[in-house]
Amino acid sequence: MDLKEILLDRFGYDNFRPGQEEVIRQVLSGRDTIAILPTGMGKSLCYQLPGSIMEGSVLIVSPLVSLMEDQAMRMRKNGEKRVVALNSFLPYTERQRILGQLHTFKFIFISPEMLSQNSFAYHLNRLSLSLVVVDEAHCISQWGFDFRPDYLRIGDFLKQMNCPPILALTATADDKVLKDIQQYLRMDKPVVFRHSLDRPNISYSILEVNSAFEKTAWIIERVTHTVGPGIIYASSRKRADELAIALQMEGVAVQSYHAGKEQDDRAIIQEQFLNGELDWICATNAFGMGVHKDDIRQVIHEHIPATVAAYVQEVGRAGRDGLPAAATLLYMPADEQTTSFIIQSDTPGEAEIRHYSKLIAEGLPPGEAAELARLTETGKRVIDYYKEHYSLDKIVHHLKGLSYEKQKLLQQMTHLVKGGECIRQTALSYFGEVCRSKPAQCCSNCGLSIEWLTEAPTRKITNEKVSWDERITNLLG
Amino acid sequence: MNLTTILLFIISKLNGERTVNAPLHLLRGKKSGQTLQDVDYFNVKPFFGIFPKLEESTYVKAIDELLDTGLIVQNGKFVYLTELGKQKVKELPAFHFKGWDYRGREMIFFGRIALLVQTLSYMRFGETSFMPIQRDRDIQLFVKRLVEGQPITDPIFAKSIGDELKKALPLSGMSDVQKYIFAYRLTGKNETAKTWDQLAVELKSSTEALRLLFIESLHRLLPVIEKSSHLPYLKKMAIDIKVHSYLTDSAKQTKRLFDEGYSMESIAAIRKLKLSTIEDHFIEMAMSDKSFPLTHFVSQESIDAVLTKSREMGTKRLKLLKNEFEALSYFELRLILTTYKEVDT
Repeated sequence: MDLKEILLDRFGYDNFRPGQEEVIRQVLSGRDTIAILPTGMGKSLCYQLPGSIMEGSVLIVSPLVSLMEDQAMRMRKNGEKRVVALNSFLPYTERQRILGQLHTFKFIFISPEMLSQNSFAYHLNRLSLSLVVVDEAHCISQWGFDFRPDYLRIGDFLKQMNCPPILALTATADDKVLKDIQQYLRMDKPVVFRHSLDRPNISYSILEVNSAFEKTAWIIERVTHTVGPGIIYASSRKRADELAIALQMEGVAVQSYHAGKEQDDRAIIQEQFLNGELDWICATNAFGMGVHKDDIRQVIHEHIPATVAAYVQEVGRAGRDGLPAAATLLYMPADEQTTSFIIQSDTPGEAEIRHYSKLIAEGLPPGEAAELARLTETGKRVIDYYKEHYSLDKIVHHLKGLSYEKQKLLQQMTHLVKGGECIRQTALSYFGEVCRSKPAQCCSNCGLSIEWLTEAPTRKITNEKVSWDERITNLLG
Repeated sequence: MNLTTILLFIISKLNGERTVNAPLHLLRGKKSGQTLQDVDYFNVKPFFGIFPKLEESTYVKAIDELLDTGLIVQNGKFVYLTELGKQKVKELPAFHFKGWDYRGREMIFFGRIALLVQTLSYMRFGETSFMPIQRDRDIQLFVKRLVEGQPITDPIFAKSIGDELKKALPLSGMSDVQKYIFAYRLTGKNETAKTWDQLAVELKSSTEALRLLFIESLHRLLPVIEKSSHLPYLKKMAIDIKVHSYLTDSAKQTKRLFDEGYSMESIAAIRKLKLSTIEDHFIEMAMSDKSFPLTHFVSQESIDAVLTKSREMGTKRLKLLKNEFEALSYFELRLILTTYKEVDT
């Protein structure tokens, strides 16, 4: 089959991007496939093209409603109208209407929590599915930094289906995560396709400082003397706010972004950043997924991320346009403990699990019980899922193992930070990859210059005040 | 206007008969029997739920400021105005909130406007793809249905919406600052809205004060739109924003059973709820329904006696009245005071 002809004919591209064609061929041959492709490598074509050739519909499980809507919108915009996004936010009648005509859609996006609804399973079972796609598949693994317990339901769901081939897509997965994806999705000897995670245009620097005060001073110096746009990842909401204020005092166009801000303001900040009205964002790890900005020049971490995978994912938001970008991580000796503490509070301990389960047994509503037992939102969801499947002792045992493993992952990250070896090589080695060639600007341990970065940012501050009615004219004519 | 002046006003209304946290519950719009009843007793409906996410620390700071400046004093759990405070209340500008009518739903109205404006701002330049500034699915679907079949790519359509806004804002009587905030919470192509923090820096104010100004401006705007016959599109945006039934959902169910002839005790049994909860529902019903059959519950003589005594003693505090009327239950006293709220003490 001439895939290139189809590519040009239906999608208007002359050539595949690296990796796409191989994945598409595997999918078309009916094999279960796991594809690890860096963000921005055109993951969606890997199911769009096969889907457009194969008989039947493609079901795509996606973790975030906004991500799903965004993806569906892009497909519609490119001329594929047989797309629908189903999630629990749709009003009941709308959902019923869509379910009634499900067979008319070629691409069905769905959020994982919908899979456990019987009405949906009923409609899906009458449908002929050519392919099931699990996007951001690393969310299924508890080792992943984005673990979503709802993803575990995909496996339960697939059990009832008559096994169409599965395509799992993700940007990052080490061996442990890979094993989880394979196991929980009940994949049959999947072909694993791994595109190199290396991003030659990103240079890595790691710097040790002695205090939070020094970090702030360094960041101010850096941001006021080098190019943006950039993201600064902080360990807490409070710290993100603090840094943003310190930078604002220096006249930098910057805002903080975290889950503590109201939804409207978060959307506004994201829009300002995309639009170039802001040069920098000080964020917690809540910022990033679904943000499409190609020209991010710098990512600065002022804390130690919990895993190398999370680090690579966050750093990977820089330089999507292929031009040089710089990743810098600042740390001080106490940071390892700080991160370790955050990890521990996210994983429920034995006392909390038993307390929670006792309160439930006494008839307390789950939300209240979780609060009393001091469980985090994620912690509660994890336990709720396991309670359906396992005994209490097993859950406790399992989560103890999980907590231990998470500490081990943090040790990997600390080793990356303190080891003094080539950062690129070390990071890639955790994903089973060998770094074949190092770029000239590799990392601070191999030696690098950041001259290209040092270019005093020029921002014309427009202090023109526009009156309210002029602004409405600007908006609507 | 800011949080402190609003608090001063509310405390003056509560007349030293409520605890220091009563205004917090009121501003947050707490739907408990006590708060709902206070709203009515003390005539503070306009302030109900105008600050749903008010943090306790922010609240305490504002109260401390009132205490420190000698405008209020605290006696045990209760707070009231000092002479200085009473003087100050008289000098306060008028507030134009309608919290009881809109219950936070004014933000849904604004969300619809924001998304419509953004959509038209892109469409008039022929751009059909953008990140919606409103992530709320209900709002997205509302706007989507509203513009279906409309000439959204026609610049004249966009301009007509702009014209309605330019007409409606001055009509509402909102201040210049409020118009400015309104316009700068709107996003369009190359014209992103400003966050509350950014506005606070620019207008040299606090984010709380600006939010309150914004909510008040929407409460002024909405009635103008609802009444007008010259603002067709804004009128569509305001559909189902004003609260029609003032009862909570749970109270509605209780009312249905009561209308079918069930007694309070049977309703409690059927709904597996405590009798005290059902009593709260009846208080809500008495508040919102002018024809509530009060004499089904208490005799006319008791009503007259309680009202006379309440006036005489100058209080609406249940505990004090209960001492005078041993035979009446708290519930019966509350019903009487709720139904005859206009009795001023």
